[in-house]
Amino acid sequence: MKQDDQVVSDEFLNAFVDDQLDGAEKSHAFDAIEHDDGLKERVCELRGLKERMRHAYEHPPTQGRSAVKGRRLRASHLQALAACLLLCIGGASGWFAHIWTGMGSDREMVRLLQSVQRNDVGTESQKIIVHVGSPNPVRLKTALDETESLLDSSRRSGRKLQIEIVANGGGVDLLRADVSPYAQRIGLMQEKYPNLGFIACGQTINKLRKKGVDVQLLPHTGIASSALDQITLRLKQDWVYIRV
Amino acid sequence: MKILSLFCRSHVFHDQLEQSRVRLYRVAYSWSHDAALADDLVQETLSKALKNASQLRAPELLNSWLFSILTNCWRDHFRQHREMADIDEIEDYRCMHETTPEDEHAQTQIVGRVRGAVAKLAMGQRQVLTLVDLEEFSYAEVAAILEIPVGTVMSRLCRARRALKEMLQELAPVQSAPISQIRRIK
Repeated sequence: MKQDDQVVSDEFLNAFVDDQLDGAEKSHAFDAIEHDDGLKERVCELRGLKERMRHAYEHPPTQGRSAVKGRRLRASHLQALAACLLLCIGGASGWFAHIWTGMGSDREMVRLLQSVQRNDVGTESQKIIVHVGSPNPVRLKTALDETESLLDSSRRSGRKLQIEIVANGGGVDLLRADVSPYAQRIGLMQEKYPNLGFIACGQTINKLRKKGVDVQLLPHTGIASSALDQITLRLKQDWVYIRV
Repeated sequence: MKILSLFCRSHVFHDQLEQSRVRLYRVAYSWSHDAALADDLVQETLSKALKNASQLRAPELLNSWLFSILTNCWRDHFRQHREMADIDEIEDYRCMHETTPEDEHAQTQIVGRVRGAVAKLAMGQRQVLTLVDLEEFSYAEVAAILEIPVGTVMSRLCRARRALKEMLQELAPVQSAPISQIRRIK
């Protein structure tokens, strides 16, 4: 039996403990382990290690956002249901539900914004969330240009439109009073379009503050617990998602 | 009906993503041992999943697809924050120089001891170990997630558990020696 102990490799025993063996191999393993105390001990050790791993990461430390998030998502679920009914009645804007898939470049973003602009859905209300995650000034400018053009054309055609620009990561620079290259322009846009909102990611702000950065946001900028929470919430409320 | 079906599928997808958040976080934390970084990695993962939802070939692959994205986000993090000549060096990267809260409690608490030991494993071993033990992925799934051969998964797992076992023995609290020893009395 001592021979079995040496022949059975650690890889084989690991696969046994992880339930990765097929039927015949498993039978062989059971047979060998049953007759060898050394193998039994090795299997016990491996199982013990597995258990300790699970125990060690069962409750990893969090930053205390989970509970709040859960409540909000449950509430938004009801809103999503209501939105679903509205969508069935409206019909015409249904295709927006999938528009957030497969986009990445500026060109794609512009194409999407323009397609929204061209799309004639009468007086049907449209809601768009623009996600800015990059501090690249060219991208920021493109986002603002296209957003402004969209808001302008919707106003001229009397179409209801609501746009929210959500910034996280490097994109938060867009909304920082002392850093934003477009502070004045954003202020003017906010005055001109009450249906335009700017939201900064609370998590990014907290991280910057922990690093000792004094974060001052532009006036009338909202703060979400995190950008992703805000995006998830809006998607559940049928908003169109566009990432810059 | 087609529009409604598309819409409902989209909601199901969002719900599934939300449900995956805790599991992604657990693994991200076990890789980074940093709550803020783990949170960022999960956010980035879910954000990319939303953006690239059309790339998911089959709903049953959602789980391993999400962890593949998490793996890529973790690699990207290293690219941005570590000065390494080759990205493959991540596999051998160790956090031994980093002080974590786990280190401080390593001598007294089992959870801290295990986390401290895992933090000292080479990254490639740590990833395999956590995906197998915490998420119960099969070896084939881990191979697909990390884009490595199944044989490598097995050897890394084996080395990881050997090292973990040794480190846990080293980190175990020292038992105080008995004050009096029994002497043989003739």
